[in-house]
Amino acid sequence: MMLVSLLSSQYNRIQALAEAWLAQGAQAFGVFEQGRALAYWPAGQRLLPADLSAAIYCYNEVVGELRLSGIRHKAAQQHLKAEAELIGYMLQLEYELQCMTADLVASQDQQLALYRLTQAMRDLVTVRETLTAVVHEAQRMLRGRAGFATYVSTNGGDPIVVQSEESRLNVETIWRLFWQLQTEDRPLLLSENDGDLRRPPGVHNLLVVPVRVRGMVVASIGIMDRAEGFGTPELKLGRALADQASAQIERILLYQEMVEQARLRSEMDLARRVQTDLLPRVLPEVTGLEIFAYSRPALQVGGDFFDFINLPNHPFIFTIGDVSGKGVSAALLMSMTRTALHSKAQFMPSPTPALVMRQSNEDLYNDFTRIGVFATVFVGQYEVEQQTITYANAGHAPVIYRPRNGRAELLLADNTAIGILPTNHFQNRSLAMAAGDLLIVATDGFSDARNEQDELFGIERLLNAVDELSKLSAREIADGLFDAVDRFSAGHPQDDDQTLIVLKGVEP
Amino acid sequence: MEIKPRTVGNVAVLAIEGRFDANTAPPVQHWLEQATATPGARVLVDLTETTFVDSTALATLVSAMKRCQQGKGEFALCGLRRPVLMIFELTRLDKAFNIFVDSEHALAVLNA
Repeated sequence: MMLVSLLSSQYNRIQALAEAWLAQGAQAFGVFEQGRALAYWPAGQRLLPADLSAAIYCYNEVVGELRLSGIRHKAAQQHLKAEAELIGYMLQLEYELQCMTADLVASQDQQLALYRLTQAMRDLVTVRETLTAVVHEAQRMLRGRAGFATYVSTNGGDPIVVQSEESRLNVETIWRLFWQLQTEDRPLLLSENDGDLRRPPGVHNLLVVPVRVRGMVVASIGIMDRAEGFGTPELKLGRALADQASAQIERILLYQEMVEQARLRSEMDLARRVQTDLLPRVLPEVTGLEIFAYSRPALQVGGDFFDFINLPNHPFIFTIGDVSGKGVSAALLMSMTRTALHSKAQFMPSPTPALVMRQSNEDLYNDFTRIGVFATVFVGQYEVEQQTITYANAGHAPVIYRPRNGRAELLLADNTAIGILPTNHFQNRSLAMAAGDLLIVATDGFSDARNEQDELFGIERLLNAVDELSKLSAREIADGLFDAVDRFSAGHPQDDDQTLIVLKGVEP
Repeated sequence: MEIKPRTVGNVAVLAIEGRFDANTAPPVQHWLEQATATPGARVLVDLTETTFVDSTALATLVSAMKRCQQGKGEFALCGLRRPVLMIFELTRLDKAFNIFVDSEHALAVLNA
């Protein structure tokens, strides 16, 4: 067959050889294949017995013969042999060219298919869809009877197995192959010729390629029972498909992470806005008191708040509190708590901290119980004539009082937090608040601040800091306390909101 | 943090080791929700090996206690170390909870 195609493509050149022989006195020249003349000169001549012949070899196999009649000397024999060799060599070149062309066409087909696969995969948003598409394409392009793919999530999702309809492998077998692949970290090529025991029963041959995502083998693609077996070109194509799958899975993971981050960010932004926007922006001016308050939300916003009720003909009341929990829910509950306290403090005919607390607890108890939260709250009321602060403390800490000539001390709460007991009998307590007396109500974000060694800032450090700062103004004391806790926890992120109110008695 | 559940007689006991805070509360909450789901449940949380509790942890314990009480069950804590007990005292939760020195005393009462 090959000789025929060479003859037709190189007819003029072969004919030139024949004419040269005839010119030298030969009676006939012919090209034969299996004893049959494919071309014979002079044209129309009856076949003559050959005087000389030379076999045409291609890859060491006889594929034809040159025959010459009418000349029989030795030099002619040598010449004829050289021509047969040349034709053999041309045949070989022709064959290689054909192979290369076929390869080229095949690889072009594959590239086109890969391109189509990339295009098709761009719309896929889940790993499962991607694996299904890749298995389908791999099965088609590698001409396997069936295919499968596996995926193990690195962030705790369920592992995934997809199989083409034709696959009859059980899932354990597929996972066993995957673990094998992960251990060896290179493609697995099994065929019935190599007697490899890892080949699943009933499968003639099998190619499994690893899919790396972010440097780790997290997935595999397997194709089985290719009629011609799997060789180097199939391995290459398998790897190219794995690369495609890898790129797409990475894209999907990145997308999922972005969505998750955006969701968290917007939730955190909302919580932060609820918290910061609801807090008073202006510090009240109260005769006999120097007041400073500030709340610094943590990255994951908690439920800290403070508030002032400062109206004409109304006692000055301040509240500070911490609702358990984090994020939006804590921010919303904090605004609920703050509002409950504020309305009681503002509208009660003759409010006292204990009454404000008691009624707020009754209002909030059921809702808090349903949600499973509570709020520690401190409510204080300043009596300007007596220069005292009356307060009630519902489980709130730390509260620090420092008389002008004494040491800073921790004031323990008398009552449990709001939302714990259905009826809570709050008690009013009283503190002197003359010039130089100091009351600092902070939230546990201060005392529970941690450093890199995981130590707590603690109450002792807080008390010492207050003693050191006590001669300064309310604002400077607050700044000093934030500085102290920042210096201590340097390098460790702020776990919880840090909120404080500093009240200092001054000459009215 | 590590949690170690066990059952002693009629009492479901959960020992919490290490930091009990917003980051580690979810498994405790999950366990407590199941343990307090049945009416009349007797539940003991053993804090002997607990090094720290924050307000989320306290909230987890409070809501478990309330659920237990609603189902006419009993809920108790035991083995609070000094720093942990101090947090309970500061927030006056020592008044709200049934607190025992150690699991032996707690179990004796709860199983009675």
